[in-house]
Amino acid sequence: MAKLELSEETKAGMEEIKQADLLIAVAAPVEAEQLRTAATRAILGMDEQSLGALRTVVAFPGVSGTEPMTKVEMDLEEVETHDRLRFLPYAMPAGTPSNIPWLPSASVYQALFAMAREMGVSACAVIAPDLAALHSHFLGPMMAPVLEERCELAMPLYALGKFDGLLNSSILAPAIRSLYGRRVRFPLAPDFCFSGKMIPDMEVALQRTIAQGQSTFWPATEAAVRERGICQVHVDTRHAPAEGVDLSTVMSETVGSLFAEMTLNAPLWQRVRGSQPLVTVGTPEPPPADVAAADTTPMVETFQLGFRNLQEVWSLVLPPVTLLELKRLARPSTERFHMPDELWVRIVYDFGLAYRLRTISRSHLLGALTPLYLGWVASYALEVGNAGPAEAELRLEKLARAYEEGKPYLLSRWRWPDRFNP
Amino acid sequence: MWTQVSQSLHESMARVISRIATLLPGILAFILAVLFFAAIAWALAWLVRSFLKGIRIDERLARGTNAIAEWSPTYTPSTLITRVVFWCVVLIGFLVGLEAFGASSDNVLSTRLLGYLPNVVGAVVLLILGNVIARFLSRSVLIGAVNMNLHYARLLSLGVKWLVLVLTAAMVLDHLSIGAAIVDLAFGILFGGIVLALALAVGLGSRDLVSRSLEREAARPGPEAVAEEKFRHF
Repeated sequence: MAKLELSEETKAGMEEIKQADLLIAVAAPVEAEQLRTAATRAILGMDEQSLGALRTVVAFPGVSGTEPMTKVEMDLEEVETHDRLRFLPYAMPAGTPSNIPWLPSASVYQALFAMAREMGVSACAVIAPDLAALHSHFLGPMMAPVLEERCELAMPLYALGKFDGLLNSSILAPAIRSLYGRRVRFPLAPDFCFSGKMIPDMEVALQRTIAQGQSTFWPATEAAVRERGICQVHVDTRHAPAEGVDLSTVMSETVGSLFAEMTLNAPLWQRVRGSQPLVTVGTPEPPPADVAAADTTPMVETFQLGFRNLQEVWSLVLPPVTLLELKRLARPSTERFHMPDELWVRIVYDFGLAYRLRTISRSHLLGALTPLYLGWVASYALEVGNAGPAEAELRLEKLARAYEEGKPYLLSRWRWPDRFNP
Repeated sequence: MWTQVSQSLHESMARVISRIATLLPGILAFILAVLFFAAIAWALAWLVRSFLKGIRIDERLARGTNAIAEWSPTYTPSTLITRVVFWCVVLIGFLVGLEAFGASSDNVLSTRLLGYLPNVVGAVVLLILGNVIARFLSRSVLIGAVNMNLHYARLLSLGVKWLVLVLTAAMVLDHLSIGAAIVDLAFGILFGGIVLALALAVGLGSRDLVSRSLEREAARPGPEAVAEEKFRHF
């Protein structure tokens, strides 16, 4: 497949820079002045013995009407302009824009990796457009294991509260762990770092992703599939709550993409058994202040509403045993609402299989998963409502193990879908 | 008298037999045409299926958004295309056979019936498409309404389904030229009545009820609003 061609402006900017050691890429439009201030403080403020001595390029989507910024003038006592930090605006490639602001489309990643390859960087960091990574102690800890060649992909370990990142904790992370055997806590993190040696593999993976019509790129999955070293780094980065995106859209994009990857990589994950812990770097950050137990009634009601109205859809995807358990769960009594891990795991795997078999329209399938997910959230919230962050993390670890233990169920349904055809 | 009755009966029978004998070649031609074209359809379908499998149309269309698979997930695109080709050729054979049958028949009624058959075929196609669209849209509305925590999700879904089906029925009847003016009028009254009733309900009669219902819906902290306060899904 043909590699991405960068725009003329981007190429001109890269020619002026020629070479760099590090590339820090922002994958969505940002305010240039804000980026300049944050990047200057974060990068030039680093110790010269570590990353501060390396030639760093910050790439960001160029905004029309602004002058391309190629140099940063330090506003310290020195008047001299440092060449250690350069800014490179790039043209965002035309393509299907992502529906989720913090999750860039695969074509944007393709442009970033092409720039990294052209400049011959040793390491590249992709950061979210809210620039939280530059406002926190992120770059140094994340880049260090990659530059020291302890791993080729560094994924962040955010310190989240027990009610944060629930979609990731309930579906994405444990499914990736079970399928590919790597215990990546945040497989779809908006910030990550990778070695320059991984760029050719990443570009091939991206071309395949785009050719399949998918827009979400999974760096951890691609690294696991290619048996590259992955490590996790404790960071104190905190991203602001996402606004303007509804749950169904996010589920459709992320879980749909997970199922698509599952279909594509079927010959690979079927051979994987169990999972391995990853090298973890850094000291765990304290999680945010504990929040009180939340009202789960609306979510339970949505689950019950879903059960009453979506039975005909769920019956096309889920076997009768699962439907019977859901019927028991949907009884109107929210105090003892509890969705067992095994049930939830079977539901996710059955939906993954239905995605592959196109039992119903994929958009309908992912929409029908939302009430079930809210049911899980309600059950989880009732369980850990009065527990601390450590207990909540143990609870999620138990769920992840349930995913691994349920993998034989997925394998048998995947290989013989007709045998258990509901 | 009995002789006359017997003679009349014999003459009638002779006319019927003569008529059947006149039609028999046409019927035979019709059957032969249909069988011949069915054989061609089978061969063409096999060729098309082989070609589509050769260019891996299913895998190509499976990448990204596949509109065919979204609307008809049970059948692969190659199966659908093959079947469409098969039945199109069979239909051509059917029409050719009818033409042969009609040529051997000088009955005005038969000619008019034969001319009406394409309308019937078009109406059947409209009916099938209408059903597929109604089913897809009603399911989309049902799932969307449940995720928006609307308790009247099923009612909305049924409403959408029946609206599309009624529209389809009106189009089918119009295509069949059955009760043209009456059907148009009935359809216009029905749809216009629904829209007028909704307008009156919102504007006048049920103003307070709808207002209270809308206020309740707007004020109700849905599961996602609660999530924004306490739960962060992503």
